[in-house]
Amino acid sequence: MAFSILLKLVKRGAEADIYLTTWNGRKSILKIRKRKDYRNELLDNRIRTLRTIREAKMISEVKSFGVSTPLVYFVDQKKCEIFLQFVPGKLARDLPNGTIIKICKEIGRIVGTLHKNGIMHGDLTTSNFILARERLVIMDFGLAQKTEKVEDHAIDLRLFKEVLNSAHVNIVSKSWESFLLGYQKIVGRTRMERVISQVSVIEKRGRYANVV
Amino acid sequence: MLSLGIESTAHTFSCAIIEKKGKQGRILSDIRKIYRPPEGEGIHPREASRHHAENSPQVLAECLQKSGIKINDLDLVSYAAGPGLGPCLRIGAVVARSLASYYGMPIYPVNHALGHIELGKMLTGAKDPLVLLVSGGHTMILAFLSKKWRVFGETLDITLGQLIDQIGRHTGFASPCGPKIEELASKSSTYVQLPYVVKGNDVSFSGLLSATKRIIPQGLESACFSLQETAFSMIGEATERALSFTGKKELLVVGGVAANKRLSDILTSICKRHNCTFFVAPKEYAGDCGSQISWLGLLESSKKDGVELEDTFVRQSWRIDTVEVTY
Repeated sequence: MAFSILLKLVKRGAEADIYLTTWNGRKSILKIRKRKDYRNELLDNRIRTLRTIREAKMISEVKSFGVSTPLVYFVDQKKCEIFLQFVPGKLARDLPNGTIIKICKEIGRIVGTLHKNGIMHGDLTTSNFILARERLVIMDFGLAQKTEKVEDHAIDLRLFKEVLNSAHVNIVSKSWESFLLGYQKIVGRTRMERVISQVSVIEKRGRYANVV
Repeated sequence: MLSLGIESTAHTFSCAIIEKKGKQGRILSDIRKIYRPPEGEGIHPREASRHHAENSPQVLAECLQKSGIKINDLDLVSYAAGPGLGPCLRIGAVVARSLASYYGMPIYPVNHALGHIELGKMLTGAKDPLVLLVSGGHTMILAFLSKKWRVFGETLDITLGQLIDQIGRHTGFASPCGPKIEELASKSSTYVQLPYVVKGNDVSFSGLLSATKRIIPQGLESACFSLQETAFSMIGEATERALSFTGKKELLVVGGVAANKRLSDILTSICKRHNCTFFVAPKEYAGDCGSQISWLGLLESSKKDGVELEDTFVRQSWRIDTVEVTY
C-alpha cells in the first residue's frame, strides 16, 4: 500500500481517538472521531461531522488573531478525521502546582483573546492546553462557537472554574485569580466584571445551590 | 453496629436497618411506601408529606418486625436531612428525633446524595469510582478528591429524572414515569432530530424538554425513543469526558434512572472503550431507600458522635460537594 503510515494510539479521548503519525514527512497527530456504537446512527453522524468541520474552521480562524493552536494539515469530512501538527510538550493538567498557577494567567489571556474576537471554546479544561517550550498552545475546538454573548463567555469561565474546583483543589483560588488577571488584560475590566457576574448567575442555577 | 435509617426526601418514605461488621454491611430490612400523585401530576410537597406522616408508623413497625431487631438494640438512628422537599424532610426528621430522644440513641443527619453513593459502593464493591448520580433530584458526575466528592459535571437546569417525568406527565402518566417512557421507547426506532446540548462536562436538558413536547403529536413512541437516545447520549458523552479527564478505572451509576436498561447499555459500552469496570446499583437499591441513609449513618458513626437534638437540621438545598467526608 502506498499509504502506509505508522499509527500509534496516543490517547483515547472522550470524543476522538488520537494517533501519532506522519503527514508529508512531518510528525503529525491524527484525530479520528470514530463512530460510537452506543449512539443512534443519525445523531452520531450529525455530531461527528459537525464537530470535525467546526474544529478545522475554528482553528484556522483563531490563528488569524494570533492564538497558538496546532496547524491543520488535512481534513476528511467523510471519515471525520483531522491531521494536525504535532506539538511536543506537557499538558497543563499534569504540570506542578506552581507552574499551573503561573500559566493560568496566560490561559486567561488566550481565553480573553478568543472572547474578544467573538469565539467561545466550549471545553476549557487544563487538559486542552499544552505547554510547549515556554509557549502555551490551546487545542480541541470541537465544541467551539462563534458568539459574542456574555452568557456564552461566562459558560467558558464557569467550566474552567469547575475544573479548577474539582481537579486542582489545592490551588483553586490562586490559579483562578491568575486566570482573571490575564483575562482582564485582554477584555478590559468592565467586560470581565459583566462576565463574572454572569458566572455567578449560572452557578446559582446549579441544583441546590440556592439556599431556600 | 445496628442502625436505623429514615428516608423522606421526596416521594418515598422508607425505614431500613443495616448491621455493620467491619467494613461490610448487611441489610436486615428495608421497607418503603411511595406517594403516588394523580395521573398527569407531579409530587405535591404537602400531599407527599401528609402521605409520609400517615404511613410512618406502619413502615417503621414493619421494618423492625422484618429485621427481627428490637428497637432497644439499635445503636443509632440516621435521617436524610437534605437535599429534598422541606415538608417531606421534616417528617423523617421528626420520626428520627422522637426515637432518639425517647430511646436515648445517637442521631445523625446525613446527606441524601451521599447516601446514594455510599450504598452503591458498598453493594457493588467499587473502590475509587467516577460516580454518575442520576435521579429526579440530581444529575451529577462526581469523583472523590481530598475529603470531598467533587463535581466534574452536572446539569445546568433540570435533571434527567425531571426531564423524563415531565414528558410522562405531559402525556398523562403519574410520576415517576421512567418505566413507562422506557417501555414506549423500546417500541420505536425512528429517530427524530432533537437538540443535543453538551457544554464541556455539563449538560442542559430544558431545550430538549420543550422540543420533545413539540414532536409528541408526530408519534409518542418515536418521541420517547428520540428523547432517550438524545438525553442518554448527552449523559454518555459528559461521562466519557469526565472519565478521560480523571483517568478513573471504575464507573458507578446510582439513582433512580440507573434502573433504565438503555442507559446501562450505553454506559457499559463507554466503559469498554475506556477499559474501565462498570458498576450499577442493584435495581431495588438504585432509587431512594432507607438503606442509603442507614449505611451512611453507620459510616459517619465510625468517626463522629451523633449531634445534639437542637442541632438536628433539615436543609432543602444541601449540595453534596459541601459535605466533608471524615470516615
